[in-house]
Amino acid sequence: MDHYFMILYSLPLLSLLYIIYKIVDQRRHQGCYILDYQCFKPGDDRKLSTEFSGEIIKRNKNLGLNEYKFLLKAVVSSGIGEQTYAPRMVFAGREENPTYEDGIFEMDEFFNDCIGKLLSRAKVSASEIDVVVVNVSMLASIPSLASRIVNHYKMREDVKTYNLTGMGCSASLISINVVQNIFKSHKDMYALVVTSESLSPNWYSGNDKSMILANCLFRSGGCAMLLSNKVELRKKAMFKLKCLVRTHHGARDESYGCCIQKEDEQGRVGFHLDKVLPKAATRSFVDNLKEIAPKILPVREILRFALVSTLRKTLQRAKGGARPVINLKSGVDHFCLHTGGKAVIDGIGQNLNLSEYDLEPARMTLHRFGNTSASSLWYVLGYMEAKKRLKKGDKVFMISFGAGFKCNSCLWEVVRDLGDGNVWEDCIDSYPPETLVNPFLEKYGWIQSEDISTFKFPE
Amino acid sequence: MAQILPPFTSSVKLKYVKLGYQYLVNHILTFLLIPIMLGTALEILRLGPVEILNVLKSLRFDLVQILCSSFLIIFVATVYFMSKPRCIYLVDYSCYKAPITCRVPFATFMEHSRLNLKDNPKSVDFQMRILERSGLGEETCLPPAIHYIPPSPTMEAARGEAEDVIFGVIDSLLQKTNLKPKDIDILIVNCSLFSPTPSLSAMVVNKYKLRSNIKSYNLSGMGCSAGLISIDLARDLLQVHPNSNAVVVSTEIITPNYYQGKERAMLLPNCLFRMGGAAMLLSNKRRERRRAKYRLVHVVRTHKGCDDKAYRCVYEEEDPQGKVGINLSKDLMVIAADALKSNITTIGPLVLPASEQLLFLFTLIGRKIFNPKWKPYIPDFKQAFEHFCIHAGGRAVIDELQKNLQLSAEHVEASRMALHRFGNTSSSSLWYELSYIEAKGRMKKGDRVWQIAFGSGFKCNSAVWKCNRSIKAPTDGPWQDCIDRYPVHIPEIVKL
Repeated sequence: MDHYFMILYSLPLLSLLYIIYKIVDQRRHQGCYILDYQCFKPGDDRKLSTEFSGEIIKRNKNLGLNEYKFLLKAVVSSGIGEQTYAPRMVFAGREENPTYEDGIFEMDEFFNDCIGKLLSRAKVSASEIDVVVVNVSMLASIPSLASRIVNHYKMREDVKTYNLTGMGCSASLISINVVQNIFKSHKDMYALVVTSESLSPNWYSGNDKSMILANCLFRSGGCAMLLSNKVELRKKAMFKLKCLVRTHHGARDESYGCCIQKEDEQGRVGFHLDKVLPKAATRSFVDNLKEIAPKILPVREILRFALVSTLRKTLQRAKGGARPVINLKSGVDHFCLHTGGKAVIDGIGQNLNLSEYDLEPARMTLHRFGNTSASSLWYVLGYMEAKKRLKKGDKVFMISFGAGFKCNSCLWEVVRDLGDGNVWEDCIDSYPPETLVNPFLEKYGWIQSEDISTFKFPE
Repeated sequence: MAQILPPFTSSVKLKYVKLGYQYLVNHILTFLLIPIMLGTALEILRLGPVEILNVLKSLRFDLVQILCSSFLIIFVATVYFMSKPRCIYLVDYSCYKAPITCRVPFATFMEHSRLNLKDNPKSVDFQMRILERSGLGEETCLPPAIHYIPPSPTMEAARGEAEDVIFGVIDSLLQKTNLKPKDIDILIVNCSLFSPTPSLSAMVVNKYKLRSNIKSYNLSGMGCSAGLISIDLARDLLQVHPNSNAVVVSTEIITPNYYQGKERAMLLPNCLFRMGGAAMLLSNKRRERRRAKYRLVHVVRTHKGCDDKAYRCVYEEEDPQGKVGINLSKDLMVIAADALKSNITTIGPLVLPASEQLLFLFTLIGRKIFNPKWKPYIPDFKQAFEHFCIHAGGRAVIDELQKNLQLSAEHVEASRMALHRFGNTSSSSLWYELSYIEAKGRMKKGDRVWQIAFGSGFKCNSAVWKCNRSIKAPTDGPWQDCIDRYPVHIPEIVKL
């Protein structure tokens, strides 16, 4: 009978232990790690200088003096420097009639460069990749860009591909979200995330002011990342994903319509950027912060902020004094901001009380590479790495905005000390430069004082 | 005594042998259990009731021990049930029905074709020949912008079509399922060839005022199999987020992609692709089990992109005049059959009953060891599924699959009739076919459905669903006004 009791008790106990082991094992495999990433640096023949920009504007017969004045103001206040990259067809003089092939070629150039380098550096062969997620907002091709990559690198038959489009400048965090969810239900996977923007088929050649702005800001760029949830690679990874929060304000008509692709009066398709964009951005940013701050900040900071806010509310007569600002720096060491433009970076810096040191990576990225849309966050990260700011245990906060209106943010933890030069290698020592004044102002500043009736463009 | 043995192949008794074999192998566990139960019953009867009572009395159970054992057992059972992967239910779905004004009968199509391509009579002839053999009917629909001569595919018209189709189909889904927009947690929209910024998913969020923490995804470029890719993504997401609703919208927006040149290989899609869309509500909430129509069993994806020929078989490119169109290669059928074979290799072991798997194993061993000349055994998928939904890519695709899988005319009826009534609606065609089967009253509880779709890249995706409750012939749905006219006989060539 004793044997009987022993068996009676040990069987459920053993099965319980087994189930607990399975649950713990599953949790271990749910982490999302970045093993490596590679940003795209196009060739020097694609650099867009002030002089050449002047050429492009001059060749566009649809623009007049008013548009020149507007453009000058926009470009000067954009924060963009002399070394940003434009699509090839602009240099070939074809920006009025880009072909479909131009768009595909632009993407191919990026894929062949970055993904090859990434895979060889990480020593992972293409047939080991299990998931491919590509996000390029403004190009939809058949077969999809994800299939292009599968074909070029000869990946396996059971690879899971996802091709996201139309999701704007915040799409790279959405791709990371897809991968994060897949990692939670599958073990031992490699995922390749490729993010970029297609500028060739979307160059606007009309004269609607809200749409020309896009031409001044967006530049070519891209990034490929290798992620994994394999337990044995945890120590060799670069970053670990701690949390990711997405906010979508599409329900408000104002937010939805502030950043939209549509036709102008002459029927040309362009990307319309509305005046209410900063307001919509701030609103979605605040909502997003409300959700992510409790997840990333230490408890004492949250308590302090709650205390200060309630005190201020109850003591209404204290009219003076600024509104209490949550101190993100208590839980975050580095800030990766989407380089949407100088105004965006300044706005966020002011809202979060960030110092010039915190904003430097974003400002320098905007200066060197322009607004590369979804991949801009990774160039900012590259700057921090090249400046050797990233040490083990540091927390990096990424935030980006996109059409829709979306605001996505996430927190990464640095797994080991990083210091690779990557795309910033050749110029990191000259950053930050002494002056950020735009050379456009010197060369074309006289336009502001011209009158439309006497205006004649000098040869 | 050398008698001629009766020819086995013509014997009716062979059919019963086959049935007997299948029944034996599939229920082998039951058959093994019977002798064990008989043995125990005999033993008990032998001992007699008094002896049994004595044995029971000698087992002394302490109260504490009983409590501990029962507590452990209950705890283990709870943890086991909690850690099982969640069931994904398809609560309901709805398909788009275009207004009558969008209909394109053969006469309209040919007249427009003649007017648009007036300098190319050869191309017009080609289109006529394709239409004659296409298997399409007279009631398929094209969006309003394409009805203009020449078609006017502006972005505004494309957005207009997207709004009509997507909002129409979501309105109908919300009404059928009594779902409030605020309860949608995950939204996935897939449309291959039209991707405006902000995305179509943002358009849906804007129109229905969905919550700000919605997880939305917009897939594009993934071809006619994108609907099943969206279902796969929804499944992965629903495994991670408990108690959630996911809405998946599959459509294809034709307006911006109507080919306006004269290359023949690129005119083919114009003849086949038509307006359509579908929206599905998936959920992993336990209380949906009662009213859900189907339960998702498997999704298997196969990507043949590593083979260059397969990759180039459906390819968007510019023709010599610079007009963009989709080029369909001539080897499409061969590549499709090959992709299907790869997909079957993965899905076969998951769904085939033991009898078929054993037969396949025996013939495989036999071919390797005894005689390579034995014909490879094609497993009988009719054993594993009651209904088949084959993507209505075109008449040739359905014919090819019917031949490869040895299906009867009734099995492919849903696909053929959907192609006839709605044309090739790309990723949503599978849902029109499922709707046909339901409208005919053929769907019973426990029936298994196999959805197969092919797409550019070259992909072959399949999904297996199990019917959760008996479905009465629905009174609403895209087939409500015409189901009684079906099935129709579709001739090989319709003379125009």
